[in-house]
Amino acid sequence: MAQVAAPRNAIHGVLPAKTARSGRWNAALDLLRTYPYLLPAIIFFVGWQVIPIYDALRLSFTDDKFLDQAAPNWVGLQNYRDVLNDPLFWEGIKRALIFTGIFVPGMIFIPMFAAICLDRVASNKLSTVYRLILLVPSMIPAPLIFVLWLWMYNNYVGPINFFLVDVLGIFNLRTQPQWLADPRLTFLSIATMEWWWGLGYHTIFFLAGLATIPRDLLDAARVDGASEWRMFWGVTIWRLLPIILVLAVIRFGSAMAVIEEYIIMGGFDKTRSTYTWTVYLYDTAFGGGLQFRGYAAAIGWIGAFFMLIVVAIMFYLFRSRD
Amino acid sequence: MSLGEMTAGEMTVGRVGAIDHEVTDVWQPKRRIKWGTIGRHVVLIALCLWVLLPLAWVLLLSVKSLPDGTQRYLWPHNFVDPIYAHYKFVIEKATAAVVSFKNSVLVTTLTVVASTITAVLAAYALVHLKTPFRAVVTALLVASLFFPTRVTALLGIYNIQDRLGLINVTWSLMLPYTALTVAISVFIMRGVFETVPKELLDSARVDGANSARILAGIMLPLVRNGIVVVIIVNFVAAWGEYLLALTLMNDAAKRTLPVFIANSSGGVGAFLWPRIAALYIIAILPALITFGIAQRWFMKGLQEGALKA
Repeated sequence: MAQVAAPRNAIHGVLPAKTARSGRWNAALDLLRTYPYLLPAIIFFVGWQVIPIYDALRLSFTDDKFLDQAAPNWVGLQNYRDVLNDPLFWEGIKRALIFTGIFVPGMIFIPMFAAICLDRVASNKLSTVYRLILLVPSMIPAPLIFVLWLWMYNNYVGPINFFLVDVLGIFNLRTQPQWLADPRLTFLSIATMEWWWGLGYHTIFFLAGLATIPRDLLDAARVDGASEWRMFWGVTIWRLLPIILVLAVIRFGSAMAVIEEYIIMGGFDKTRSTYTWTVYLYDTAFGGGLQFRGYAAAIGWIGAFFMLIVVAIMFYLFRSRD
Repeated sequence: MSLGEMTAGEMTVGRVGAIDHEVTDVWQPKRRIKWGTIGRHVVLIALCLWVLLPLAWVLLLSVKSLPDGTQRYLWPHNFVDPIYAHYKFVIEKATAAVVSFKNSVLVTTLTVVASTITAVLAAYALVHLKTPFRAVVTALLVASLFFPTRVTALLGIYNIQDRLGLINVTWSLMLPYTALTVAISVFIMRGVFETVPKELLDSARVDGANSARILAGIMLPLVRNGIVVVIIVNFVAAWGEYLLALTLMNDAAKRTLPVFIANSSGGVGAFLWPRIAALYIIAILPALITFGIAQRWFMKGLQEGALKA
């Protein structure tokens, strides 16, 4: 910011000795000159992010039931007490954490591996072709990804089980893996889908990181006879660490808040592992019954609070190592 | 795809690669088989196959005859005749699909236009103008990236749309859509605007151009690759949004394509699987074509600092 201020003052020929009054006047003028540019962003951000977030907070202190037509009553912290004592909520958080634990490492290390391979491809043309192919899934709309993998994992027409049963003969029709129904496989199946989806996009992130490593650093190490293994652990991984940590935080956030995947692939069955806290919130607010939106809002806020604490801890841990 | 495999591959990959570049002619015999190079390409080709095979399978399904579409075997006994019959059926007979397709086009167009204008204006003000409270605005936008807004604020978004009378009004989906991507769009543009030298701006000011003319005349051509990135990011997000579209549009005629496809993929009635597959291909094509056309600028835009976000 300092960079901007200096030349601007010089150019505008503002008198070096400004009175306090003209300083305030200038500040007001700056406000009028610049905020029209920010206005659309502020309208969208306040109107459909800040106000809805506040509205959900307000709801969470009431016993609002959407379908009973009655005015909601203020109940204070009652919803929060109830949610914290709700085993289904904690089961939902636990399920989301298990998914996150499977999802995040794959979403970081598979693209990193791809990027390291891609970075060394000598031919520019070939490298572009690989990049474009890997990016194809990130151009496909989310629900269509889920529909696609519902087909992949299907027991009757799905190509995966066709391959395992009819081609390789490892399983038969009775023992074939139930990719989405078997609680031991569900999260791995969904995570595989997400890896497929995010591979290209995340690879680009790592390629950008690899591009910042000075070539002569690696070349010098090579001349000194360092093995590729040692160079990876000695140089590359440290250069990529900031990207790894940022992705870990961002992907923790997206994995904990996953909801569409679970609704499309698992539905609203409370016993299935896809019934996480987000699905519980949606089911409570928009599903059957009276739609207890006050309670759902409290689920949303406790979940968000829980996530923000973990994100804050991650930031703290990662910062202290710099 | 374990870590061990990766590093083992890498050990040979890099060494051979380096020798190729620098000292091959001096002492490296040409006949040596470059196992590292081969291994690297094997890995990349395997990843590409992993990416492409599921899509190829859908393409195959979309030209299978209806009876073959429900069978286990991979290669159909009969292709549908003519080969594009399912596509024709979806476009001509499945009016509900066409309606939802049009809805998606409307919402996506509005979202992309609104997001792009919003992001360009805001990022310009944040990077190149003497905007008061810049740090506060930036901090709020950053904070919003870490808040699970889509889930926690869903009830609030429903309420505000309800109060504005916008439930079941298709175009209104662009309002929350633009809001949910505003932070990331602004950061992409901010990264690109930062690569534009300040001196350029200053000399234009000396010549007497005001900030709006500088943006339109000087800045826009310089940041166009970043604009492509913003357009693509918003296009994909809006074209595929499911949760809000499902929640805010109860009327079947107001639904967008993703909701329609997700709801009709059960494989019953008029929507047998091969036909859904045809609809599926039609649904993913706009994004893929857009990307195919814009990929050159998209890649450049990413390199120019869009990734700093």
